[in-house]
Amino acid sequence: MMIALIARLQMRELVRRRLALVAGLLTVIIGALTAWGLYSLVHHVGRNGTTLSEPMVRAAAANIVILLAFFFTIALATGAALVAAPALAGEVESGVALVILARSIRRSEIVAGKWIGTLVAIGMYAVLAAGLELALVRAVTGYLPPHPFVALAYLFGVAAVICTAALALSARLPAIAAGIVAVLLYGVAWIGGILGAIGTSLDNERLVDAGTIISLIFPSDALWRGAIYALEPAVFVAAANTVNTGGNPFAVAAPPPAAMLIWSAGWIAVVFALAVALFRRRDI
Amino acid sequence: MLLGLVFPTGGTATVLGKPLGDRKTRRAIGYLPELFRYQEWLSAREVLAYHAALLELETRTRGRAIDAVIESVGLTGRGDDRVGTFSKGMQQRLGLAVALLGDPPLVILDEPTSALDPLGRREVRDLLSALRERKITVFLNSHLLTEVERICDRVAIVDRGRVVAQGAIASIVGDSRSVRIRAAGESAMLDATAARFGTLVREDGWMTITGIEPEAIADAVSALVAAGARISVVEPLHATLEDRFLELVRKR
Repeated sequence: MMIALIARLQMRELVRRRLALVAGLLTVIIGALTAWGLYSLVHHVGRNGTTLSEPMVRAAAANIVILLAFFFTIALATGAALVAAPALAGEVESGVALVILARSIRRSEIVAGKWIGTLVAIGMYAVLAAGLELALVRAVTGYLPPHPFVALAYLFGVAAVICTAALALSARLPAIAAGIVAVLLYGVAWIGGILGAIGTSLDNERLVDAGTIISLIFPSDALWRGAIYALEPAVFVAAANTVNTGGNPFAVAAPPPAAMLIWSAGWIAVVFALAVALFRRRDI
Repeated sequence: MLLGLVFPTGGTATVLGKPLGDRKTRRAIGYLPELFRYQEWLSAREVLAYHAALLELETRTRGRAIDAVIESVGLTGRGDDRVGTFSKGMQQRLGLAVALLGDPPLVILDEPTSALDPLGRREVRDLLSALRERKITVFLNSHLLTEVERICDRVAIVDRGRVVAQGAIASIVGDSRSVRIRAAGESAMLDATAARFGTLVREDGWMTITGIEPEAIADAVSALVAAGARISVVEPLHATLEDRFLELVRKR
């Protein structure tokens, strides 16, 4: 009851502060640019009057979808960090929290409400933005990636990892510091993933281990790789499995193992519990 | 600490008979912080509705309860405006409304008139008097000692974290033990008469008698009149809470 109240208010704030409107407008602009680019590709006429064959268009569309997914992961990741961090710390800093925490609400309910509010808002945005982009790609090129819903679930997982981290950090750090640190951790994890991939392609165990350790500490990149895998057509996967990609972060040969998914879920639960524990004993 | 916002490093205390920070007890406390801020992207009524939900007030009566507090703090007609458009004084009124929502038996107000103009201060003073009549305990924290003196029944003076005096205002300030009289007449005669009642100081046509018992003032006035004084003003001098505060704090 209290959790739902806090979550609803959190979402209402995103709408009232026009973040939802701005994000929606930018997404529509990006969608329009994508559609225009794909249309130009489909109707491309070379110097000798040739057009692109359908497999070529589909391959290009598949690449563009993966790059779009990468862009949206960054948008979701930074969005999750920058929405979740001020949700706790911002209210404490501004003094809004004083009168709320003085009520008979549990601090854990506030943390949970903010967490759910942020995740629901980000989930809704992810579904709408991805739906729009995929519909446009489909309408212009006829291409649809093999597992769009699985990819979406992975992208949401990335956002959940970063949102939870930002919330835990903001239980003690100032809002801006918590947001920046969460985004940096996401960046470090991404680089860790690339290191691991380079290690695999060079057969360098140390690099592979480093990549694995980083992804265990901050599992966002492992989930992002799951999203790419779900978006790759079979021929891309086959290529990634046979050709040495040299650590290309946009080519993935296999989805993350089930153990990694369980680890990520456990990681989110533990970091969330940490956020509650840290916020519970904070002097306001 | 009373509201569970800050944790004690040691010791125990109770509020409304329950240990410090008890969650259920907090439902019975209204609070206006000194540095008040409310969600500026909500309207005043929405802020109050949010607090009504936090208080778990009955849904049926929420609207009425909100209207009542809006009216009591003088925000009638502005309830649907965004908090972001409010002046500091209006936000403080909203803060008071939030604190009074749900008729809590204990209201903790930290500098409730700091952002208000003289008219607003007067209104808040009247509001607090009305709360007193409804037997609601108001815990007022203020540096405006004249306000405190006018509103409060009991005070505690805290200096560097320690209570240096507490009790009813009269017991802290003490009784009036001096009187100022403006009188015309033969000075030497009047001075001799006045000096019988206490120590006399003459200044600009005023006679100030200190160390006089309050019940002896009438006798002093009669004696002066008998000595030929034409009296235009008699003014018992009260020590103020501020005087007492300065005295206590400087002593340390």
